[in-house]
Amino acid sequence: MNHSGLASLFTIADKILFFFSAALIIASYFYFWQSTPAHYAVVKSPQQNALFIDLNDPKVHNVKGHLGISTLKVHDGQIRFTASPCKNKICIQSGWHQHGGAITACLPNRISVQLTSQSSTPGYDAIIF
Amino acid sequence: MPLSSNIQKNLNRISLGHKDQLIAGFAALAITIHLLESTLPSPIPGIKPGLANLVTLYVLIRHGWSLALNVSLIRVIAASLLLGSFLSPTFAMSLAGAVASLAVLGLAWICPGKPFGPIGLSILAAMAHISAQVITAYLLFIPHASLFTLLPILLTAALISGTFGGILVSKILERTHDLTDT
Repeated sequence: MNHSGLASLFTIADKILFFFSAALIIASYFYFWQSTPAHYAVVKSPQQNALFIDLNDPKVHNVKGHLGISTLKVHDGQIRFTASPCKNKICIQSGWHQHGGAITACLPNRISVQLTSQSSTPGYDAIIF
Repeated sequence: MPLSSNIQKNLNRISLGHKDQLIAGFAALAITIHLLESTLPSPIPGIKPGLANLVTLYVLIRHGWSLALNVSLIRVIAASLLLGSFLSPTFAMSLAGAVASLAVLGLAWICPGKPFGPIGLSILAAMAHISAQVITAYLLFIPHASLFTLLPILLTAALISGTFGGILVSKILERTHDLTDT
């Protein structure tokens, strides 16, 4: 199979389609691989109902956890732990979070914060069988 | 026995035409390839060479869209029954992929002047196939936006496998050119 033989298998439309698809795919890497900003945060704690926080509404939220009250601060589309009754303060040190899909948590206080771009969470994570 | 004679009468009324034989033969071939392909290991979920779809493409070019539709749908249903995945997520995604690629192939096939050769058709089918599968997975099984992070990789694989598949079908068409009806 020589090269000219291979090229002759492509019609003009095939060639255009090939390069158009390739360009589209390259664009899709840029589009889908950039991190999307989150608009909401879902805060879960065993001590209270899940809390749905709008990240465009700068506010301080106090969330009751297993050990006590953790404080979450919302500012400029970002969220972070500012206080927590845990020992190592890893949650506070993890700093601001703003990307969709990001998760932060205070494990000792059993509070998790999941950032999402959707206004509601789906009823399930995944279905596999 | 009136009942059995009735059945016999109805059976006699079913006549297998040449088209039916073609559909049966190509569907059997496609099912075999589908089963063999399902045993291949895959580095990333969703990436497969898509060899079973090449049968659909070959049938489309040699025998037209309606025959390709029959072969493709019979393949999806029969292969899923044999693999035990009938009505499972795998089946739903397989069916969505097949329907989407058939639809795109149908549109490309009625394009005035038929500008696309086997390679173009194969690329179109592969891209439609994987896009439909990702959308189905998102809508039904994994409703998480992160799923689309996989899309560029899957589309890249679809372009590569579609191109090679098209080249393969071109070669097969060349070699079976003399056969009036396979």
